[in-house]
Parts: sequence; C-alpha cells; structure tokens
Amino acid sequence: MSISGGSGGVGTGSGSRMSQKSKDVRRNNITAAKAVADAVRTSLGPRGMDKMVQTADGGVLITNDGATILEKMQVEHPAAKMLVQLSRSQDVVAGDGTTSVVVICGALLSAALDLLGSGIHPSAISDAFQVALDKSLQIVKEMAVPVNLEDKEALKQAATTSLNSKVVRQYANLLAPIAVDAVLAVKGAQAKHSAVVLENGNGAVPMKGVTSESTTSFVDLKNIRTVKKLGGTLDDTEMVDGLLLSQPVAKGGSNSVTKVTNAKVALIQFCLSPPKTDVENSVVVQDYTAMDRILREERTYILGLCKKIKAAGCNVVLLQKSILRDATTELSLHFLAKMKIMAVNDIERDEVEFISKSLGLTPIAGIESFTADKMAKVELVEEVSLGTDKMIKMTGVTKTPKETVSILVRGSNQLLLDEAERSLHDALCVVRSLVHKQYLLPGGGAPETEVSVLLSRAAKEKSGMEAYCMEAYAEALNVVPFTLAENAGLSPVEIVTELRRRHAAGESGAGINVPKGAVTNISEENVVMPLLVFSSALSLATECVRQLLKIDDIVMVR
Amino acid sequence: MMAPQGGSRFGVDPSVLKENASEQKGENARISSFVGALAITDLVKTTLGPKGMDKILQSAGGDVQVTNDGATILSNISIDNAAAKVLVEVSKVQDDEVGDGTTSVCVLAGELLREAEKLLECKIHPQTIIAGYRMATDAAAKALEESTVDNGADPEKFRTDLLNIARTTLSSKVLSQARDHFATIAVDAVLRLRGSTTLDHIQIIKKSGESLADSWLEPGFILEKKLGVGQPTRVENAKILIANTAMDTDKVKIYGSRIRVDSLKRVAEIEDAERDKMIAKCDRILAHGCNVFVNRQLIYNRPEQYFTSKGIVAIEHADFDGVERLALVTGGEIVSTFEDPESVQLGHADVVEEAMIGEDTVIRFVGCTANEACTVVLRGANMQLLDEAERSLHDALCVLSQTVGETRTVLGGGCAETLMAHAVDEVAKKTPGKKALAVEAFARALRALPEIIASNAGYDSHEIVAQLRAAHAEGNKTAGLDMNRGCVGDVRKLGITESFKLKRQMLSSAVEGAEMIIRVDDILKAAPRERDNPHPHM
Repeated sequence: MSISGGSGGVGTGSGSRMSQKSKDVRRNNITAAKAVADAVRTSLGPRGMDKMVQTADGGVLITNDGATILEKMQVEHPAAKMLVQLSRSQDVVAGDGTTSVVVICGALLSAALDLLGSGIHPSAISDAFQVALDKSLQIVKEMAVPVNLEDKEALKQAATTSLNSKVVRQYANLLAPIAVDAVLAVKGAQAKHSAVVLENGNGAVPMKGVTSESTTSFVDLKNIRTVKKLGGTLDDTEMVDGLLLSQPVAKGGSNSVTKVTNAKVALIQFCLSPPKTDVENSVVVQDYTAMDRILREERTYILGLCKKIKAAGCNVVLLQKSILRDATTELSLHFLAKMKIMAVNDIERDEVEFISKSLGLTPIAGIESFTADKMAKVELVEEVSLGTDKMIKMTGVTKTPKETVSILVRGSNQLLLDEAERSLHDALCVVRSLVHKQYLLPGGGAPETEVSVLLSRAAKEKSGMEAYCMEAYAEALNVVPFTLAENAGLSPVEIVTELRRRHAAGESGAGINVPKGAVTNISEENVVMPLLVFSSALSLATECVRQLLKIDDIVMVR
Repeated sequence: MMAPQGGSRFGVDPSVLKENASEQKGENARISSFVGALAITDLVKTTLGPKGMDKILQSAGGDVQVTNDGATILSNISIDNAAAKVLVEVSKVQDDEVGDGTTSVCVLAGELLREAEKLLECKIHPQTIIAGYRMATDAAAKALEESTVDNGADPEKFRTDLLNIARTTLSSKVLSQARDHFATIAVDAVLRLRGSTTLDHIQIIKKSGESLADSWLEPGFILEKKLGVGQPTRVENAKILIANTAMDTDKVKIYGSRIRVDSLKRVAEIEDAERDKMIAKCDRILAHGCNVFVNRQLIYNRPEQYFTSKGIVAIEHADFDGVERLALVTGGEIVSTFEDPESVQLGHADVVEEAMIGEDTVIRFVGCTANEACTVVLRGANMQLLDEAERSLHDALCVLSQTVGETRTVLGGGCAETLMAHAVDEVAKKTPGKKALAVEAFARALRALPEIIASNAGYDSHEIVAQLRAAHAEGNKTAGLDMNRGCVGDVRKLGITESFKLKRQMLSSAVEGAEMIIRVDDILKAAPRERDNPHPHM
C-alpha cells in the first residue's frame, strides 16, 4: 500500500483555510457518530422504547439500557466506535445516563456540524465548547440540592427515577429500596478503607465540585452480589442478609443434607477424592485381591478425610473447584451425608475472597490445617428450591461488620431477568453516585433546560465566535427535554417552549411531568437524579465532541 | 515512474536487471522521492502546535487509536516509498534521542525538500542546494546557540524552566487541559531521578475513571496485584524476596516420567511427600528472613496458606515487567533457587501496604531502596484517552530528563525558528553566487513552521508570520506566536520554553534527512521475492 492521502496535500500557502479532505473526514465522522446517537434516541426517558437485539449466535436481548444496546451494535466506523466507548465510560463513571450521554453528544455534534458549515474553525468550536461546559457545570452545581445519606427517602427517589425508564418500571417501588439498602450496607463496612484512600488522594488536586468527604467515601459494587434465578416474578426479588450461593448442594445419594442450623462453615481448597500426585502416576494392579485392596484403601483414605472434617466440628463444607481433579466423589459425598455435613461444590477461585469476606472465614488449603478457628458460624444454611433451580442461602451470619450483600433477582423469563439485573445495576450505580457526590438534581429535563436557558443568557455577555458557539451549545442541550416529550407522545415544541419560558422566569424546578403530560414543578413529583450522573454525562459528551472535532484524518495502519 | 521501457534512453537496458526489478533515474527518481516525502509531511503537519489536530489510526483488525503524536503516527503507517521511509527514520531518531519534536523534525525536513524542489525547477544543481543548506544550517545553529539561556546553576530558576518546557510540550497534546498539573508531575518525577536519563524508575499506571486532573505522582512503586487472602495489609520495614519459581511442584522435567505404585495408599504417600517438599521449599524461602514474598508465577493455595500462617505477605503472579521493576527499585535480586540464603540480596521498602485506586486494589511499596523510583497514576475517562495521555507524558518526561543533562533552553512558539530564519537571511545577503538562493530557501523553510502552527489554530497565518518576521527584524528577539490570542507576543513572558538539545537535534536531523533525499538520483528496486501469497507483506 502506498501512502494514504498523498494527493490531498496542499501547499503551505493555504493560510487558514482547511483542505477539502479534512473537511470531508470531519463531516464523515460526525455523520457516523450521529447515526449511532439516533439509534438509541428513542429509548430515552420513562416512556422510552425498548430495543430487541439479536446477537450473532441467534440469542435475543430486550433492553432499554443505552450502554448495552451500543455494546451489542457492533459498529465498524472508528468515529461511531468512539461513541460506543463514550457510553461505556459513562457506565463506568456513573453507571446510569448511558443513553442521555450519547443523545447529548449527538446533539452537540449536529450543532458543531452547523458551525463548521458556517466556516468556523474546528479549534475555535472546540475551545468554545469547553468554555460552555465549564459554565454549564457551574450552573448545575448551583441548582443541585445537597442530600444527606441518612435521608433514605431521597436516595430511594433517585433510584426510582432511574428504574422508571426501564422495562421493569412497575417494580421500581420494590427494587429502589433494595438498591438503597444494599449500597448503604456495603458503604458502612468500608469506612475502614477510607483512611487509606485519603492518604492516597493527598497528591491529587480535588476535582471541581467534589467535596472532600466525597473523595473519601466510595462504594465497591463488587461487594454486592446479584444472583439471578429463573422463575417466580420480579416481586420475589429480595435482598438477603447473609450470603447466596448459586450452586446447589452436591448430590450424594438420596440423603444429602439440605438444611443445617447453627452451622459451622468451612471453605476448603483441597479435594475430597482419591489422592492424585502432580507427577503422573499409575497404580499397577496385578490380581483380584489387589483390586479389592485398592478399593478398600480408597474408602479408608476418604473416610479419614471426612472424619477429620467432622472432628473439627464442621457441618457445612464449601469446596473450591479444581481443574485437575474431581473435588468430590460419590463416595466422599456419601460419607459427608452420613456425618450430616452439607457439601457445596464448584466454588470458583475468584469467589473465595467474596465468601471469606462475607462469612469471616479463612480458606483451608490442606486437611492438616483444618482447625476450628478457620470456620465461620452461621445460624442457618439451607438449600432453597426455586422452581427447578436450587441454591444455597445462608442467613444469620455472625461476622460483624458485614462487608457484603447478596441480592436475589427473580423473573418469569430469561430476557426479563437479564434486563432486571441490568436495571438493578443502574439503580445501584445511581445510589453509589449519590454517595460519591452528595447532591441531587431534579429530573424530567429540568437541568438541561436550566443550563440551556442560563447558558444562552451568559453567551449574550460574550462576543465573537465564543458567544456564537455557546449559543449553539445551549440550543443543543434542548435535545433531552425534546426527546423526552417526543418519546412520551407529547407535542415536543409546545412542551419545550413552555419549559424554557418557565425556566427563563426563574422556576428552576420546572420539568416534564410525563404521567400528566404537562410541565410541572418536577421536584414535587420526586423525580430526581444524582448530580454526578448529569455532570459526568455533560463532560464526557463534550470531551467526545471535542475529540471528534480535532480529528482531521483517518489513517489506515498495519 | 514505471519500470523502464526497452531501449529507454535513461534506464539501464532491461536485460541487465532481473525481471520485475525496476529502476528510476534522474528527474524521475527525484520526483518520486519528493512526492513521497512531501506526502508524509502533509500527513503529520496538521498535528503540529498547541492547536494541532488529531488522527484516527485504524488498524486492519479494527482497533482505533486517536493520537497527536508524530512518532506514533509515523511508526504505524505502512509506506512503500523509499524517501518517505527516510523521513520516518529521521523522526524515529529524534524520538530516541530526545523523545519529542518528532513532528517538527519531519515537517522541517519536508519544507526543506519543498523549497529544494522549487530550486531544482530553476535548474540549480542539487550539490549547490546542499552547499547552501549547509551554510544556512551553520548560521542557524550559531544563532540558536547564542539565544540560549542557561539556568542550570540556579535550582529555583531551573525548576521554572523545566515547568515551562513541560507545559510547552504538553500544550500540544491531549493533556493540555490539565497541563499545569501534569507539568508539575513530570518535573517532580524527573527531578527525583537526579540527572539520570533512564526512565525505568518512573512507572506509569493507567486506571480509567475520574478525570485527567485527578492523576497524581506517587513516591514509590505500585504493583497491580492483590495480597493473599487473610494476610496482613500493611508491612513496615519490609524485606522483600523477589522470585521466579513454580510454587506447585518442582516437576521432574523428563518427558513421560511417571510413578508406578501398587496401592492407593502409596499414591497418598506420594501426595504427602509432594506436599512436604513444597512446605520444605517454603521453609527455605522463609530462611531468607523475608517478610514479603513476591513471585512471578502463581502461588497455589497450600503455600499461600503456609505463608499466611507465618505472617508473611505473599504476592503471586506479578507480571514479568512488574517483577523486574520491583527488583530494580527495591534493590533486590530475582531468585529462582533458594539453597543459599546468605548470598541473596533482599529488596527493601519502608512500608508495603494495600491501597485503593478508584475501585481497584493495588499494592504500594513506599520508601524503596532506590529513592528515585516513583509512579505516575493516570486517571481519565476512557482507555484511548489514557493511552494518549501516557504517550504525551512520556514525551514530556523524555524532554525533561534530557534537559536536566543539557540545561540550556531556547524559546518556543515559533520564536527560535524565526530567529534562525533571520540569521540565515543575513547570511544570504552576504553570500555571492547561486548558493545564496538555497540559503534564502532555507530561511523560508524555517519560517514555514510558525506558519503551520498558526494555520492549524485557524488564524491568518500569512499575516501573523509576516508580523513575527518584522518584529524579529526590528531586533525583538523574544517575539513569538501567542496561540491563545492569535497574535504576536513575547514568548518569554508567556513562558513558552523548549529544550536547546531538542531544537538543535531537530535542526540537524531534518537537514541531514533532507540532504540525503536531495542527493538521490537513482532508485533501484529489487525484484520482489516470489510468494504464493498474492498480498506480500510490506
């Protein structure tokens, strides 16, 4: 291949004009990115539509979650890919608002395209957008209401608002408290970590608008485990005070133990099966008697292991999965059952940490170190059948403070179940965002309109390109209320103009009340969202637009 | 530019060369190499300066990279033009020598060639052009050297210089939003090295999340691993044993070795023996008196538990790079046999502890033996941004570490170039003969750099550069481009500073590269090797 674009070069005498090629590349990039944004636009808001995604292997997925749709869309164009990553970034930072971020980005790109069309240099647009962004963040910061983490109602409202735009919206009242309780439970346990984080954060300049306490408190969602089980309805979804294991009790004949009270749980990392050496071995059998003897020996060996477990006072054994050999055999399960010990197979190695953290036990690597102090006391361990599926539920964990939480999600079909899990994840993220940055904003398009109105007012005090670009930026933000109204089947022009009028009159809480189909004071409707979700959506979208504007060529490389 | 036709007056008789081999001669060869070199220049020149544009690099596999770094762009594109390859080489040399200015060097070489092309059209012999260029280079280098400022003796001022250089380098990159922050990070990191130019002690960790402004400089070393379950999360006065050893079993490495036994009891005995062997190995490790054990390979459950019971922190599966660096910064050596505890050098750190970055757990080594060691933790919205931030920071670190060695600085923002162009113009006036034309051309090529910078920022480049030239002609030697306001300003006041070594290297590399291409009058292409593959590799 020869050098790409060699013919497109122009002389140094081009002055401030851009070459035709870079104009085309930019236009092309923006068009591709806008196409992606348009694809998810209709799923925004409480009345947003869902998408059915058919995967290459024939699987079907129904979702309303922007990040998930884009993830599965398999876009080819490099600029479109950047939009997909934008949505993923928002997912990482805030966990919610993945659709909004893409829609805002699309609108800003349209605005940028118009500005480019009127001959403004991309660098100028890019710089002006940054100025507009800084101003907008300042505006939202001012309209945000601080929230106290003790105030569960407020947290619940935020979670509910997020859930209201999902497929599972009718269960929002059920899922929201779960999300709030789960995050708060995990947060409390992590107080001890905060000292380390504070020390770490010393060198970092605090981010704009982040209070010092919010940099020290954070929530690790890895400590919240969701277990999905088919069957029942979403109503049966619950938060379990203790631990859920999706594995069933290992089947060892008919009399395996399925319920243990006052359990002593041990997590073992060795196998209850005939010995196996790392060096290859083969047992040479020469005659009948030898065979009998070997069978006997195997029995004695396994019985020996089980007896030692029993002797330590253990009555629930969790076995780590081994790739080299079977963790259990028929024989060992049989013995365990006889000794009234419950056995659970197939614990993954990466689950070990979670389990030890939740129960407060120490994994045991060899039978010789099987001692009572490595076990955990749990009041009740039982196998619960859920339709055809079974799982282990442990309640009454004695360990304090509790560091982890398990949530059981039920649903009538796999699609609903998956979507419920995603929605719950979003809700968890919303609550987490509130813990990170303890401010709430009204929802229903209110912050977008407020920023738009105040920003265009601020733009009037400036002059030159910057003012012109800021106007365009402000105008572009109207896309969110516009789309909300459109998706709700209202008349977008009427709603948006009414909204603008009321915001211009100083009513910063005015938003679209979708159920009523009118503009009302949205804070009274308890439609709220965390500041972090909106501010991160706005900054990420602007960053992405600026990145796209700065690109003037696509080069194919090896 | 096609393969020579039979009986062509310029080409070698085709029967002399192998089939498919081709030759380009004289004018043809020159045009072909100029076209190639100029195309490369045009490709990268839009990335120049604080308002330079970015490129998307799309690989055949569909991976997307967004970058502004000339070296990255040039090293990734596939080229089938000899002259273009020369320019890429020149830019690579610049990258190796000073780490930054890779775009400038390529653009200057390209501009020199563009000027040479015009002179060639006027039937000036290539050797005359080269002679003129050499004269001009000497004059320019002299002028550049005279304009340098050396603050190496005064640590306060020198730090300001370094900060300014870092800011200038970073302003053309993605980090420009938070450049003050990053300039401080880079300068602090480089000053820790105390004059060494090896950047191995500076580790860069990328973690997505938060924003670029939340990045920080961590004194010490960070390993992105987890501690074993149930082990102490903080060890003071750590003695670190760094190993690369298998912690499952020491297998006999003879193919097909196996043990034959006649009863299961024996198998159990062997299993026990294997376990005891492992424990014995652990004991040998403990005999070193370490309290932190880092292994490149996995540590299995059993040894981990054994270490835990002895209160030793065991870190498994540290990657190769991590282990090597850890050995470097803690002053320990990497061992794989444990027979001789006395002769093994243990690493040292004041504190080893678990810490959190964002949501990830890492292990932090503070107060290592090699106090130069530090870690830059980069935070940012997405991986692409972080990758680009790492490249930019690396450039800044390279330039700074070079500047610590060669403390003289010059002014940036097109000031140095205009200054040199002015000096070259003076020489041209005094040069008799055709060479003067080439010297003049050289000055024009130098002036093209500020012109491109201004043009990339969307300003009226001809206007600004003419003003700049006039300012220098009046003797205002600190006049340069103020790209925030789009006019001529005093760059010394603006703090736009560059390393003298960088500018000097850029000048000589670019001239050498251009000269090499001007000298070419014949391109011989070997016949491509026969392959079955219809698309041979390039």
